[in-house]
Amino acid sequence: MASANAGGTPDAVLPPVPNRKSVTGTRKGMAVLFLLPALVLLGALVLYPIGYSVFRSFFDKSGDFTAFGNYKTLFTDDTILTAVKNNAIWVAVAPTLATGLGLIFAVLTERIRWGTAFKLVIFMPMAISMLAAGIIFRLVYESDPDRGVANAVMVGVHDTFAESSAFPQAHPSTESPLKSAGGGAFITREPVSAGTPVVLPLTGVAPDNMPDGAESAAAAKPDPDKVTGTAWQDFTRGEGRGKMNAPDKTEFGYAGIKVEAVKDGKVVASTEAAGDGTFALPEAADGAQLRFPASNFREPYNGVDWLGPTLITPAVIGSYLWIWVGFAMVLIAAGLAGVPRELLEAARVDGANEWQVFRRITVPILAPVLAVVAVTLMINVLKIFDLIFIIPPNSSKDDANVLALQLYNSAFLDKDAGVASAIAVLLFLLVIPVMLFNVRRLRREGRR
Amino acid sequence: MRSTLRTRRAPHHRRTTAKLAAAVVASALALSVTACGGDGDDDGDGGDKGGGKESAAAVELPKLDGQTVSVAAVWGGSERKVFLKVLDEFEKRTGAKVTFVPAQDPIISFLESKVAGGQPPDVAMLPQVGAIDQAVQNKWAKPVGPEAQKQLEKNYAKGWQDLGAVDGKQYGVYFKAANKSLVWYNTKVFENAGAEEAKTWDDFVKTAQTVYDSGVPPVSVAGADGWTLTDWFENVYLSQAGPEKYDQLAKHEIKWTDASVKEALTTLGEIFGKKGFVAGGANGALQTEFPASVKQTFTGGDQPKAGMVFEGDMVSLPISETKAEVGTDAKVFPFPAVGDESPAVVGGDAAVALKDNKGAQALLTFLASPDSAEIWAEAGGFVSPNKSLDMAAYPNDVQRDIAKALIAAGDDIRFDMSDQAPQAFGGTPGKGEWKALQDFLKNPKDVEATQKALETSAAAAYKD
Amino acid sequence: MTTQVEAVKAERSLGGRIVSVLSGTAVRVFLAVVALFWLVPTIGLLLGSLRTSEDMAESGWWKVFSTPSQMTLDNYTNLLKDETITDSILSSIMITVPATLLVVIIGSLAGYAFAWMEFPGRDWWFLGVVGLLVVPVQVALLPVSKIFGAVGIFETTVGVVVFHVAFGLPFAIFLLRNFFAEIPRELLEAARLDGAGELRLFFRVVMPLGAPAIASLGIFQFLWVWNDMLIALIFADSESPPITVALQQQVRSFGDNVQILAPGAFISMVIPLAVFFAFQRQFVSGVMAGAVK
Repeated sequence: MASANAGGTPDAVLPPVPNRKSVTGTRKGMAVLFLLPALVLLGALVLYPIGYSVFRSFFDKSGDFTAFGNYKTLFTDDTILTAVKNNAIWVAVAPTLATGLGLIFAVLTERIRWGTAFKLVIFMPMAISMLAAGIIFRLVYESDPDRGVANAVMVGVHDTFAESSAFPQAHPSTESPLKSAGGGAFITREPVSAGTPVVLPLTGVAPDNMPDGAESAAAAKPDPDKVTGTAWQDFTRGEGRGKMNAPDKTEFGYAGIKVEAVKDGKVVASTEAAGDGTFALPEAADGAQLRFPASNFREPYNGVDWLGPTLITPAVIGSYLWIWVGFAMVLIAAGLAGVPRELLEAARVDGANEWQVFRRITVPILAPVLAVVAVTLMINVLKIFDLIFIIPPNSSKDDANVLALQLYNSAFLDKDAGVASAIAVLLFLLVIPVMLFNVRRLRREGRR
Repeated sequence: MRSTLRTRRAPHHRRTTAKLAAAVVASALALSVTACGGDGDDDGDGGDKGGGKESAAAVELPKLDGQTVSVAAVWGGSERKVFLKVLDEFEKRTGAKVTFVPAQDPIISFLESKVAGGQPPDVAMLPQVGAIDQAVQNKWAKPVGPEAQKQLEKNYAKGWQDLGAVDGKQYGVYFKAANKSLVWYNTKVFENAGAEEAKTWDDFVKTAQTVYDSGVPPVSVAGADGWTLTDWFENVYLSQAGPEKYDQLAKHEIKWTDASVKEALTTLGEIFGKKGFVAGGANGALQTEFPASVKQTFTGGDQPKAGMVFEGDMVSLPISETKAEVGTDAKVFPFPAVGDESPAVVGGDAAVALKDNKGAQALLTFLASPDSAEIWAEAGGFVSPNKSLDMAAYPNDVQRDIAKALIAAGDDIRFDMSDQAPQAFGGTPGKGEWKALQDFLKNPKDVEATQKALETSAAAAYKD
Repeated sequence: MTTQVEAVKAERSLGGRIVSVLSGTAVRVFLAVVALFWLVPTIGLLLGSLRTSEDMAESGWWKVFSTPSQMTLDNYTNLLKDETITDSILSSIMITVPATLLVVIIGSLAGYAFAWMEFPGRDWWFLGVVGLLVVPVQVALLPVSKIFGAVGIFETTVGVVVFHVAFGLPFAIFLLRNFFAEIPRELLEAARLDGAGELRLFFRVVMPLGAPAIASLGIFQFLWVWNDMLIALIFADSESPPITVALQQQVRSFGDNVQILAPGAFISMVIPLAVFFAFQRQFVSGVMAGAVK
């Protein structure tokens, strides 16, 4: 959640209270008493571990000295290397996006009446645990479009623009006169001739999945001037194939399936089958091979594998943004409140459009706030753990790995205190610049 | 050798969840049983009604008034509840007081901390072969006493006894078994296709073809979870190459480049490699986790995404989360025989005494007897390796069939091979056997490359 | 003269107005879509938690809009009967309440000392504490588990609380010291002249005056501890884990476990959300104090 430690506090404050002499003017012993509990805890549980980790990181799993061996492992072991890489992606992408979106939302909500309500909605995820957020997004990213909302939307949008085919699973039955023509199309083994009805049996489409117009399959009538034939599902529910390669009454015609006559690789005629699966092609088709083009069998679109190995990190970053954009937005909105209105108005009067005002005035004035937000988020992202512990399925766990998770695995599953300590030290080294920055800033302000 | 018996740590999810799985099944089945029997709720006097059984007790237990026995197990939820009932019966018969210690997975680490703290439980239920071995090596485990031994010899096939023995000495009493050689199918799909349960691998391929022709992808494969793939391979291999080779391969005494492995993979390729046989295609399967692989087989009315799914008895958990009913909508047949016999790949929980006292031994004796098995069998979600257990004790045909297949396998049962392998090889996502078989699923034609990949990582893993 | 300028302004703003009305609508639509994006996941969880696992296996939660009869409270009643979950809520409270109170007390004491007491190197000490603000908890996991093991509070509620307190302190001290430092000197001196002792001064004057900051801190710390999973995963008593860990253990099992996870997650959110809505202002000011001036 919005860990208190979110307070990366780069822009710390040391209020200028001059002459803050002790009002008590009492014994120093009292100060010790007041500070003792805090200092003991901080010393034992925060400071000491840093020292211990540094020390321990030079020894291997069983406690033998290994110098920089563990650090070498960090950058050679595949799994850990993935963690390092992913952490880099996280630190580069997540804070930037969160700050950017936060800025956009903050600016846009400024002049909307329900801006406060909007902010509340965006900010709310900050209050819940990363675990709950993780569970929420496991449901969102569920790959089956019937169950996961993300893919339901994807499929909905896709199917609005592209129709799926009627016979995605159809295939030539065993001992069929058809063979694969590559690319998902099927073609007759032999050329066909006019006057002799052709049978084109397929299997693999259940009666429920037949197009609405499908009727009982019928044998085509011979016609000396035409190539006729039947395309049908050579399979009866509960019965099997029945009479092989001959249409039975209980079997369904492939209504609307596209049939092409091909000669020397060129389509010379084409048609669509009727409800009972029969079709007729003009005489030009005589001596051609009949082909079902692949468009008949296109697989339905099933959305995106959000939790697959390639998309897992972006997907988890998405859930992180859901939580943390609110944080960025609220801070930026507060900064925005401090931007002098007159300046904006003056620019507008001078003919600047909203984009120019935003780009040339708002952003530069907000720059310090944006920096603070981004740095705070970077520190936060460095420690990201819960979401990656929860969201990725086993098959993409390794692809989603990050340092904090690897540290946990190394320390508590592999029981390798050496590598774990090295990761801890690495994490610590990465926050040192921010730490120094904080302290320097604080001192400068204190002097003022 | 040592390494082959190492406990497996990483997939402890699998372990925990297997427990959980059974737990939910147990509760689901228990519910249906009470509903059918209408015979009162068990908690109160329902238990006392079972008092009649005492007269027919199959085992004599000593009087242990005033003594306490503690049992550690990773079971939770309703699974724990049923086990507590088993323990209640023990208390009633002996007068001892039994406390249940909820343990965490991996249980060996849990026991480590308890032993270190000087408070080991009297008995622990250990879920892996490797765990027993480790408990023995750490000198925690105590051998079974003569009474329990007698029960074991009377009620257990040699194979099951051996699984609980280390260096010829008997330590473990397998109380609860898991049958990992089952094919579950959607009855509606089979009906619509006119397909039949398969006894042999050739029949199985034919059945798959029939289901495919009827318009339903025949086989659901949970390729995202590498362990389901290792289970596929192990079943084919055990049946085809036989138990001796299986043991050798498990210990890496023969290489994965062996001809027998090639044969098994080629056989497996007849299903994995046939276009349209695997639900969602290879890529879809690689994104399918175990629960999803089951659910997609038993949801969707007449048009599920698959007709059959292979895995152990824990398949009934995800089924219980769908509208399908085990026994009517979902049925099961033993993994088809590739060679002469159907394979029996098993798992189970063994009771091991950690303290040498009368109470612990009495409990082992009790758990080795059919009396204890009967209590859980009736509650459901349980298969016993105890051959003296009356089959009528199982609440439904499916459970009975699973148990029958297990008992019928006799001494040819084998523990999950990947569970016996070093974890780096047999139990790590994205590595070793899991990875190699996932690549195989993607490209089933390339048997040779698969074998090479398997052998390379096996050689590395078995070395340490 | 003036009228002319106004006329020009008006003219410009006429075209501008049309544009701004149009873009205003576009902005509203855009924001509404964004808000929907943010709400849908939570709504999905809520509606999902109100459906049986059987229904969830068949279809998505949006099906309740067409078949509202699917909605049921069964998942919740079952969950509340499940001792592991109810116990875990209790454990969460047992951890969160002391961890929050202790941080407030210890942090106030130290914050006051840093603000108003005199001792050598005071500001340096304070800077040191501020430096600790950004130390990742992960650095301490392994070493502290060793310390706790040695002291005998590894895997106990006490251990979790102590850990949370330690890592909550830098922020607490930082926040409170800055707030206390702004208490008018006269107030403290007046109390001093009335003969108030050090402790009396602290409890009777400083703490009440610092109430707003203490409230912010308390809410923040409460939410942080309540929502934590990592620390509890390692340090909590495995036999009575807090709600986050209890739920985590249900994730990724052989079943999807939606019927436990969805309502469980929702229950785990109820308390923090209630706190959030009740104390929005303090929460926001806590966020601000943590990050910007």
